[in-house]
Amino acid sequence: MNTTSEQYNNLDGSQIGKMQCQLNSYYDAEYVLRSIVYVITTRAGMDDKHSNRVALAVDELYANIAKHGYDGKPGRVEFDARIHKEADGQAYLYFTFRDYADHAAHEKLKALINDPGEKPLTPGGRGLMMISAVMDRLEHRALAVGNYWCLVCRCGRNI
Amino acid sequence: MKLDLSVEHKDNGAVEVKLDGDITIQTSPQLKKALSKLFKGQDKTIRLDLTDVKFMDTSGLATLVEGLQWSRSGGGDFKLTGLSENVRDVFELAKLDGEFDIVGHE
Repeated sequence: MNTTSEQYNNLDGSQIGKMQCQLNSYYDAEYVLRSIVYVITTRAGMDDKHSNRVALAVDELYANIAKHGYDGKPGRVEFDARIHKEADGQAYLYFTFRDYADHAAHEKLKALINDPGEKPLTPGGRGLMMISAVMDRLEHRALAVGNYWCLVCRCGRNI
Repeated sequence: MKLDLSVEHKDNGAVEVKLDGDITIQTSPQLKKALSKLFKGQDKTIRLDLTDVKFMDTSGLATLVEGLQWSRSGGGDFKLTGLSENVRDVFELAKLDGEFDIVGHE
């Protein structure tokens, strides 16, 4: 699928360019999340390689929310994926998560966000580095209850 | 999602582990358990066939790094084969493609 600028206009703000779901923090929901990401990236005209990279990054943030935010315990996670064309005419993919975990539980994740650099050969610690490589922005806001996370990726970016 | 593993002991003493499915945070503990059993046993030459793995996340990557560490510490030989473009890309994104012995990797 090769999405043109005109098609982005049609996707932006339409039901075609947006998908939402309510997940839980069990890892078996990861497959559902990944499927949604593939639908949105395909609608945005991304090729298979870049779709896979975006899916990896979104998957990684979700896994971190489940692991660090909820500590593997059941918890509610709302997910929203959308294609948005900004004023400059450039189309972006927005992936947002809303969780209801303690703010303090995310301190480790926020520390990793601030230090996404290369790691020595250790089993863990590469997820945030990969998010940083794939996404243009990673935003976090502590809410009165829970957290808001947003990953932003420019369509057509050479990642 | 599930991950199927089949382990075949070859005549030359090598072990071929064939995987079918996705290696994710949900399935990687199963792979870790299988690799741990092999590396902590008598098996020194392990070839992991990833031909039928379509997706791997960083927990899968972490499991393979553990396998590589076990192999190095025990003087073993750990090879990866049959990587799809997307699975190979995960290694490249994580800058780990140079650490592993990836057969068929140009």
